[in-house]
Amino acid sequence: MQKAIACFENVTRRFGDLIAVNDANLEIFPGEVTAILGENGAGKSTLMKLLYGVHTPSSGRILINGKPSTISGPADAMINGVGMVFQNFSLLPALTVRDNLLLAWPKTPYWVSEKNKRTTEVLANLKRLAPHINPYSKVSNLSVGEQQLVELCKVLNLSARIVILDEPTSVLTPAESQRLHGFIRQLADEGVSVVLITHKLADVEACADRIAVMRQGQIVDVSTRGQKSMSEIVTLMMGSDVKREISPPTYPKKRVEKLFLNKICATAPGMSLKDISLSIAAGEIVGLAGVAGNGQALLAQVIAGIHPATSGDVVLDGVSLIRRTQMETLSTPLGYIPEKPRENAVVENMTLSKNLNLRELASGNIDATEDTKNLLTRFHVNPPEMDRRASTLSGGNLQKLVSARELGWPRAAILACYPTMGLDLTAIQMIYREIFAQAEAGAAVLWISEDLDDLIAGSHRIAIIRDGQLVAVKNNDGKLNRDTLGALMTGLHPERRIA
Amino acid sequence: MSVHRDTVLIVGATILTFFLLTIGFFVLLGKPPFEMIGMLLTYALGDGYSISQTLAKTTPILLCALAAAVPGRLGLISVGAEGQLYAGAITGTAVVLAAPDLPAALMLPMMLVCAALGWAFYGYVPGILRARMQINETITTLVLNYVAVLWVNALVFGPWKDPASQGWPATITFPGAAILPALPSSRIHLGLLIAIALAIGLHFFFTRGASSQKIQILAGNRKVGEMFGLNFGTWVIVLMAMGGAIAGIAGIAEVSAIQGRLQPTISIGYGLTGFLVSWLSRHQPLIILPVAFLVGGLVAASDALQLFAKVPAASAIILQGLLFAIALAVPGIIKSMRPNYER
Repeated sequence: MQKAIACFENVTRRFGDLIAVNDANLEIFPGEVTAILGENGAGKSTLMKLLYGVHTPSSGRILINGKPSTISGPADAMINGVGMVFQNFSLLPALTVRDNLLLAWPKTPYWVSEKNKRTTEVLANLKRLAPHINPYSKVSNLSVGEQQLVELCKVLNLSARIVILDEPTSVLTPAESQRLHGFIRQLADEGVSVVLITHKLADVEACADRIAVMRQGQIVDVSTRGQKSMSEIVTLMMGSDVKREISPPTYPKKRVEKLFLNKICATAPGMSLKDISLSIAAGEIVGLAGVAGNGQALLAQVIAGIHPATSGDVVLDGVSLIRRTQMETLSTPLGYIPEKPRENAVVENMTLSKNLNLRELASGNIDATEDTKNLLTRFHVNPPEMDRRASTLSGGNLQKLVSARELGWPRAAILACYPTMGLDLTAIQMIYREIFAQAEAGAAVLWISEDLDDLIAGSHRIAIIRDGQLVAVKNNDGKLNRDTLGALMTGLHPERRIA
Repeated sequence: MSVHRDTVLIVGATILTFFLLTIGFFVLLGKPPFEMIGMLLTYALGDGYSISQTLAKTTPILLCALAAAVPGRLGLISVGAEGQLYAGAITGTAVVLAAPDLPAALMLPMMLVCAALGWAFYGYVPGILRARMQINETITTLVLNYVAVLWVNALVFGPWKDPASQGWPATITFPGAAILPALPSSRIHLGLLIAIALAIGLHFFFTRGASSQKIQILAGNRKVGEMFGLNFGTWVIVLMAMGGAIAGIAGIAEVSAIQGRLQPTISIGYGLTGFLVSWLSRHQPLIILPVAFLVGGLVAASDALQLFAKVPAASAIILQGLLFAIALAVPGIIKSMRPNYER
């Protein structure tokens, strides 16, 4: 066997209390494509940023060519032949593609006129990878996918021996992805080590030689191509270790339709929803499963009346909730727990008690004197001090604060996006109890999650979203399992081998 | 109440640093520093005349500061007070020129209201551009400043020029009914009263009441505000127009009470000074009040200092520049010195 070009030995990285990468061991070989597969927040990007020098390991070490890595930062990494393409790019939009490439190229001559023959080489990789991109057009005129390709060319121009790609296909069209896959294979054949950070099984299937699966900061499995079936990989990605006591309320005896999604279409940069229809009855809990980035976030925003829909409607008890134009605003009657509470759900420079009363404050009622202290303790917000500013709370406590606001009062319907993200086990149980209590009181619940075990344990029906469409709505009759759901989520047959 | 304590600490530290650097400045000029600072204080507050001068300068600065503070509460950066001041002067003067014979009881309210409306419109335009098209309000207000100033020039050199002025670019002298009432033999006029009333009114508007909470939510997190049905665009337009109206009153007050006619130079940078006062006071009207008075005193006193103490004419501007540079730097320095400041 070949010698590894880079080697992680028991590498751990902490950010405060959070262990982003936990005791990782991984070898990267020249001429191979290593896929790092995992859900959002599994630690994939952090692991590779350790190699790239953005972060340093808290413990453990990284060897490059058998010697301990001395890389201290991205500039240093590039000198050492390690290049990384990030999810958010570092291109200058006002300059042309060619100028951007010249800026990052170590061999750029002083005189950069087109006639200078020494500059022609800078476009060689671009011509191979993306012949359709005009090198003289401004980066601001390119699509996101095209920008990603230019960014990749920048790294390739460094003649890096290790190229790290962070979710490269998330913004590419299928045709562009295909071309990229071919290109990655070609690079590997030239002896370059390619590391592909992804949560798309299609990427893995198309070009990976070695597959490392990460979950909650740990590398749970490393296998070579063809060793494992798709469903095994999905199971590893999603994890099935924690068994939680989840007892959803019994299915309502009489079905009364409550929340009705009718042929919703909407578009946002890089994502569009197509004809999403779903009807949720009073007291019913519908889980929405899908691999991240398949339109869940946009769907939630449309239902909550934050993002305008291009057509279709959302009706709650006969009243339309949807926004038609960007100018319109309406207050959502849903109990809505968005993802990323710090950005989407709290006003950080206001107190906890005001954050709990945002609905009332926004509607002009400043005398709202709800019993906030009780709510804070009931939802385990720590510390339960009403006059504390929300900015001082940790992410998990903010999540609980938002849950307290949205679940603390009876609601007609609940829309919960990853409501247990970043919470500990007791808090997770508490959140589920509160959501189920709302359902028992007659609320229609739509619950978006990536945790298949919890969804199977806690919902009456499970809808699966892929590429902005609902591909299936399954009754949770005890026959559903991770494999069938995983196959629907990825669109691949469960028994198909990665070959 | 930690917000309040921080503000007091920052303002105090700023004034102290300014005092120290002013001493250094006078030492560099070769003047006795304490004597000079003493003279500054005397010329600002020493006698009735000085106080009247200081208050005359305070009025437009205070109004312009409030004009910047109103959109500032929503996180907008409007530098348009200077232009809004000129725009208010134009619309206010238009009333006087159109009906010079109105009695004071009608003339003054009409003049003020028209000035406010003129300015309101001048704030409304950048507001609607920002709200509907995401066009940066700082740039539009900045550029519109020049437009307003040049409009005044165009009018007083052209159609509004007093034929009796023999080429001097100015309108006719305002009739008595159009002059804001002032304290006898002083330059303290009704504008000051309006400004103080506005500051107190705005304080309550921004701390009590339903609107204050809505503005705070939108300023803190626009997405959350929209989730609960607040319309950012509407509030941008409302607050920009309100700010514009306040600056407009400053314009007509200056024209009516101080100059007595519309002429090219109404403002000696009051708009920008007010903008800086507002930022120095963290857009809090009750802090703006004393700060505007302080800066008004500095402007008035350094004018006098240059006349009587033979310091270079530029020192007035240097001292103001010093004050604002310190005001911007000190809060950052204090923050960074704290061992565990909140992000």
